[in-house]
Amino acid sequence: MRSTRCLKAGMNLFLFLLLWCSLVGSASAGEWNGPSQLLARKIVAVTGPGAVAVTVENRSSLAKQDVDAVGGLVRMELETLGARPATLEQAAAAVAVTLSENPQFYVWVAEIRQGAREASVVMVSIARGDESGFEREAMPLGLRRIPLWAQEDRILDVLVIEEDAAPRQIAVLDGDRVAIYRLKNGKWQPEQSLGITHGRPWPQDLRGRVLAAGTKDHLLEVFLPGVFCQSTSSLPLALNCRESDDPWPLAAKSANGFAPSGGAPAIPPLGGFYSATRNFFTGALTPGVGKLTTVDKFYSAAPLPRESYVLWLFAATDGEMHLVDGITDQVAKLGWGSDVASLKSACGAGRQVLATSAAEHGAGNDTDSVRAYEIADRDPVPVSTALDFSGEVTALWTEAKGESAIAIVRNRETGDYEAFRLAVDCSR
Amino acid sequence: MKRFGWPWIVAVSVLVAPSAGAETRPQYGGTLHVAIREAPASIDPSPGAGNGPEADSFAERSVLGLIFETLVTIDDRGRIHSGLAADWQAAAGNQRWQFRLRRGVKFHDGSALTAEVAASSLRTANPSWKIFAEGDSVIVERDTADPSLPAELGLLRNSIVKRNSGGKLSGTGPFHIEDWQAGKKLTVGAEENHWRGRPFVDRIEVEMGRNFHEQLVELEMGKADLVEVSPEQLHRVTMEGRRVSSSQPMELVALVFGSDAQTAEEKLLRGALAHSVERASMRSVLLQGAGQEAATILPNWLSGYGFTFSSGANLREARQEREQVHSAPRWTVGYDANDSMARVLVERVALNAKDAGLILQPTTGNADLRLLRIPLASADPWIALANVARTLGIAMPKVTGTSVEDLYGAERGLLAGERLIPLFHLPVDCASSPGLRDFRPGADGSWRLAEVWLEKEKP
Repeated sequence: MRSTRCLKAGMNLFLFLLLWCSLVGSASAGEWNGPSQLLARKIVAVTGPGAVAVTVENRSSLAKQDVDAVGGLVRMELETLGARPATLEQAAAAVAVTLSENPQFYVWVAEIRQGAREASVVMVSIARGDESGFEREAMPLGLRRIPLWAQEDRILDVLVIEEDAAPRQIAVLDGDRVAIYRLKNGKWQPEQSLGITHGRPWPQDLRGRVLAAGTKDHLLEVFLPGVFCQSTSSLPLALNCRESDDPWPLAAKSANGFAPSGGAPAIPPLGGFYSATRNFFTGALTPGVGKLTTVDKFYSAAPLPRESYVLWLFAATDGEMHLVDGITDQVAKLGWGSDVASLKSACGAGRQVLATSAAEHGAGNDTDSVRAYEIADRDPVPVSTALDFSGEVTALWTEAKGESAIAIVRNRETGDYEAFRLAVDCSR
Repeated sequence: MKRFGWPWIVAVSVLVAPSAGAETRPQYGGTLHVAIREAPASIDPSPGAGNGPEADSFAERSVLGLIFETLVTIDDRGRIHSGLAADWQAAAGNQRWQFRLRRGVKFHDGSALTAEVAASSLRTANPSWKIFAEGDSVIVERDTADPSLPAELGLLRNSIVKRNSGGKLSGTGPFHIEDWQAGKKLTVGAEENHWRGRPFVDRIEVEMGRNFHEQLVELEMGKADLVEVSPEQLHRVTMEGRRVSSSQPMELVALVFGSDAQTAEEKLLRGALAHSVERASMRSVLLQGAGQEAATILPNWLSGYGFTFSSGANLREARQEREQVHSAPRWTVGYDANDSMARVLVERVALNAKDAGLILQPTTGNADLRLLRIPLASADPWIALANVARTLGIAMPKVTGTSVEDLYGAERGLLAGERLIPLFHLPVDCASSPGLRDFRPGADGSWRLAEVWLEKEKP
């Protein structure tokens, strides 16, 4: 008899230690510990010590491992408080724990039934944190993406100021500021925030660019609708903004310009005038593409250097793509989205065009994708699978070196804006 | 820790998505045509302005919210964001609140938004509150702690309205009034210098007083870009391949008595009625599967505890409760004569009640109890609950805290008087034309028309 009791006790201890080890191993256990204990205390306040039958059901967005962790913690705490686990037949109280939620809280509810009495209900709530689900990992889909930054305010552009193997310092542009962050001990630390002043309200669907100025007097240049800003060159930076209709660079300045591959000619600088009150380029170009100094209003542009000229792609506001070589303006219905960017790479034809998908936003599937194309003559050929994003791509800009692009995505579920660096992955 | 996404946000979804045009960035221009069932007599969003008992209804929120704005806004998660107020703070105790106004905002008549005008507007909407201007701020002082005050000020009824001499109203919203024919038609034009940026469409024309059938016909004929869809139409409209968007369940359908149960017998009879209603079959057949069965005022997605209240029918218990009362009165149950869904629901409730030994007589006139459709006012559960209580004239139970458990206690307190029997929570459904883009109705049923744009027809 005694040896059986000892064996039982040993088994219980083993199971307890097993559970404890598994909970300690769970990243969530620490976070759920407090509320689990509180819920257990509230349950025992109703049942008192004794045999209880506990079930746990999940009606929330918690993952299974979290549900298991919470269930284990509640049961463990109940035991500590004297509420022994039992089968439903043996138990004095049946406790149905439901992990529920509302928009702001996880709501853990225990419905306690004791005999024929009406069920008692106790609950605890835990504030739901920011769940951007923003994970810093690449998606091996032919296009490589590297997460850079995420925030609640709309990101317009991100400039990588300093990098070695990975970005070390970035500037994040939104409608109110340029925020500079530096990577320290694997985490982005805010370094400086430079406010943007502007006299008139920003248009909706605000767009903007932050670029390296490439001069000794200025570190950053910021282009926004009707506003141009320049920063000083040394820390702490100061940002001076003024009303301006200066053209936005469509191809980088020669000093930092694209270094075309395969002996193709350099891409001459090209600027496009941007509407101060809308979300598009007016179509006026400076100095122009060959003889053409105006094209239709467009959302974005991408250069494709050829042997003796540069073919420009303009994503016009009417949904059509204009292929402009300086002499002709050929219109194509490609079914692409409004944003295009061109990248140089060490594979394929050496230069690819990235284009957003033409998915309709607000149609329940607010997700976009970006795909790489090559245009040998005038017909685009897809050269990568579509890289899907968890929301709408709100900006796609070629970076200064021309080897990568910045994509800004508004996460459909969290509403946060996420900035990624996109590059062609030649290894696939 | 890895968590799944937000299923409650995904529920704001479009059921059918046809092919889209190529451009994905918004285009400016065009006139958006909208048809709605309501026919408000006034565009004044403040309470008692002549819009009947349905103040803060979905249609009012969507249409009047184009013209008027609030100090703060509430997002789909019930979080508060700055609106006309740039920031706000409470003094210790949450009785005195200071809202600092955003600079540079102008009313449609060209005058600047000032703290004096904002305070005056809020006083009109809340005569019992102490509200005054102090510098560039509006100060609100309450008698007791009011942690929910910012969320309360996010309601349309607390919009900032400038009342000019002659009764002309002016707002600060993204659209200004171009033409107003009371109860018939409202035309609003885009405000070029709105502080959030000019809306994409040039103009919105709202045809009012159109029943659901007329609205669908107008959509089919291309005369409307956006119409409401009733729950019983939803299945058919979806099957026809139309674009249908649904909010989270935000409308409470309930049987409401004129007063709390006064005697134990009355309480038993009301309990019998509540237990007799077969919500599941009503939802399946009469509502074509739309919405959710309800036993609470707040839907589960908003409270997190709604599932603990049983909404299933229990005829045995209903009969037991009925049999404990010697004689039951013959109750009349009222409904809106213009609401066909309300009629069929009431008729079915009367049939269910008969099985429990209760006699209910449907009527469109005065009645002992009524079937009401009550729009929940906010994605903030406290505000939503308080507004239902206010609409029904029930005192909100006093609670000391702001936790979900306190909310649960408050809701149980409201239901304890057996004044109302919740039946369903319905989403706000609407159908739109293929040319309407970036239409993302809020979880609370608001349409957010300042963000939509119209795809231009291709030649």
